[in-house]
Amino acid sequence: MERENNDFLVRMVNIHKWFGRVYALRGVDFEVRRGETVGLIGDNGAGKSTLIKILSGYHHADQGEIYFEGQRVSIRSPRDARGLGIETVYQEQALAPNLSISRNIFMGREPLRRLGLIDKKVMDEESMQALANLGLKLRSPDVPVVTLSGGERQGVAIARALHFKAKLVILDEPTVALSVKEVEEVLEFIRQLQREKVSVIFITHNLYHAFDIAERFVVMARGKKMADVKKEDTSPQGLSDLVLKSAFVAE
Amino acid sequence: MEKKLTLGRRFLLSRATSVLVVLVLILLLFSLFSPEHRFVDPDNLKVLLSLGAEFSIIALGVGMLMICGEFDLSIGSILVFCSFVFLKLFELEVNPFIIAVVTVFVGGALGLVNGLITVRGQIPSFVTTLGTMMFWRGLTLLLSGGEQTACDVSALGTKAASRFLALFTGRAGGFLPAQFLWFTLFAILLGILLHYHRFGNWVYATGDNRDAARAMGINTDWVKTACFIIVGVLCGVVACAQIGRLACFTSRTGEGWELKAVAASVVGGTSLRGGIGSMMGIFLGAIVISVIENGLVVLRIPYFWTYVFFGLVVLFSVLSSMYIEKKQMEAHR
Repeated sequence: MERENNDFLVRMVNIHKWFGRVYALRGVDFEVRRGETVGLIGDNGAGKSTLIKILSGYHHADQGEIYFEGQRVSIRSPRDARGLGIETVYQEQALAPNLSISRNIFMGREPLRRLGLIDKKVMDEESMQALANLGLKLRSPDVPVVTLSGGERQGVAIARALHFKAKLVILDEPTVALSVKEVEEVLEFIRQLQREKVSVIFITHNLYHAFDIAERFVVMARGKKMADVKKEDTSPQGLSDLVLKSAFVAE
Repeated sequence: MEKKLTLGRRFLLSRATSVLVVLVLILLLFSLFSPEHRFVDPDNLKVLLSLGAEFSIIALGVGMLMICGEFDLSIGSILVFCSFVFLKLFELEVNPFIIAVVTVFVGGALGLVNGLITVRGQIPSFVTTLGTMMFWRGLTLLLSGGEQTACDVSALGTKAASRFLALFTGRAGGFLPAQFLWFTLFAILLGILLHYHRFGNWVYATGDNRDAARAMGINTDWVKTACFIIVGVLCGVVACAQIGRLACFTSRTGEGWELKAVAASVVGGTSLRGGIGSMMGIFLGAIVISVIENGLVVLRIPYFWTYVFFGLVVLFSVLSSMYIEKKQMEAHR
């Protein structure tokens, strides 16, 4: 049992969550192996976001256990999650649009000189390095994020996760509202995460994007895990059928 | 292909620059059109720099608070309550420096109350401070009976008293009022805090995208509360300076300052939604507001015109800063 545990980076066991009288998660088991990319799919209101927010410290499970690297952990805040090495890249929630690229990358973890003053030189150099590692060439670390394209913004958030040696990166709908070219760009960033052996949870509506990048798929509906399939055992069409069927079964 | 930003263009596109242009314009206007150029008379400049600085010191804090996405409508009421605390301790003949420390401390405490109610109760600070604005003003009126009371620190006759007055109402080199030096000092300190310290980065992040800031482990509730406390502390400092200058307590002090402070911040390029603004802009914005108030008096224009003028300047500033924002976006593309 212990040996098997070691394979898993994170393991959520029998997670229950109520919001008032709404039973949002009904005993969900969910795990991610080291270096594995999992596609988390399902209809709106299926419980994907709730599950992930428990993992990233925004919500707290009413019942259930979370193990991280084999250890039982209690994640009470986003700060706790970050401390463990869990980084979340939420659409529109990861970056401060009017702050510069480097200030975004080092938000909350500013490199300091004396008296809490920011070491701007180190911050700027490391920011450009982190972006370059991801294959992203941006003109200046001083540019506000709002002036970047959607794909570049995702890149900044992912570069941040990589720079701070995240073990698990959660991407919540990273390809929504992006052009085809930008989607390809973002998928390439995720491949870079995979090459660096970072575990990834990829939440999406777009089964094709998920199929492209993930090794395993977890389908949720109505607060329950309905299916858990490996990529080699399915196809985009198969996944689509699963999502549809799950929605009806859960009714 | 990227467009290179020349130094000149960069200067013109900075928000603080547009405020500077407004400031220079109204300075010219007042200097040229005041009868006998009385606006630039040293006596008037002294009045402008000391009186205007009192309001402006608090406006600095309000601007910073707005960058982190909150408002404080209670500044005038915190000020008057602090003044009342000062008066009561003065009547007990406490050493004025001890009074000053207690007054500043009380100001900070009232700021803390604003902060705690806002973040713990998850109430918009507009509402929180609307409540505390009425509460502290009301309480002060109740306790003071709404009267003006003499509070002449120099009457103490002690060495500490004269040092106290020199610190808050003295003139450096026989001309520069101490209040203006305080204003400049606070602007520099808060500027360093906002632009070079990590706390400043948290302030911007909190105002710009609170969820992102929280996800990055920033305690946004703490950041907001700290900004409220800074505003309260500044109110305490100004209460000391004002009583030193006026030598009396008046229960109407600070009335109308709350919106003037918001106006100063907006004129200085601060966004009402938070996340955007600079200390230089707020500094200049506060000066603009003070200059208008003073200049219209010197021009012998009836006081009622003041707010008409404020309104025009606020609208002009907002429109021009939106224009600059657009140009900046294009320049970055």
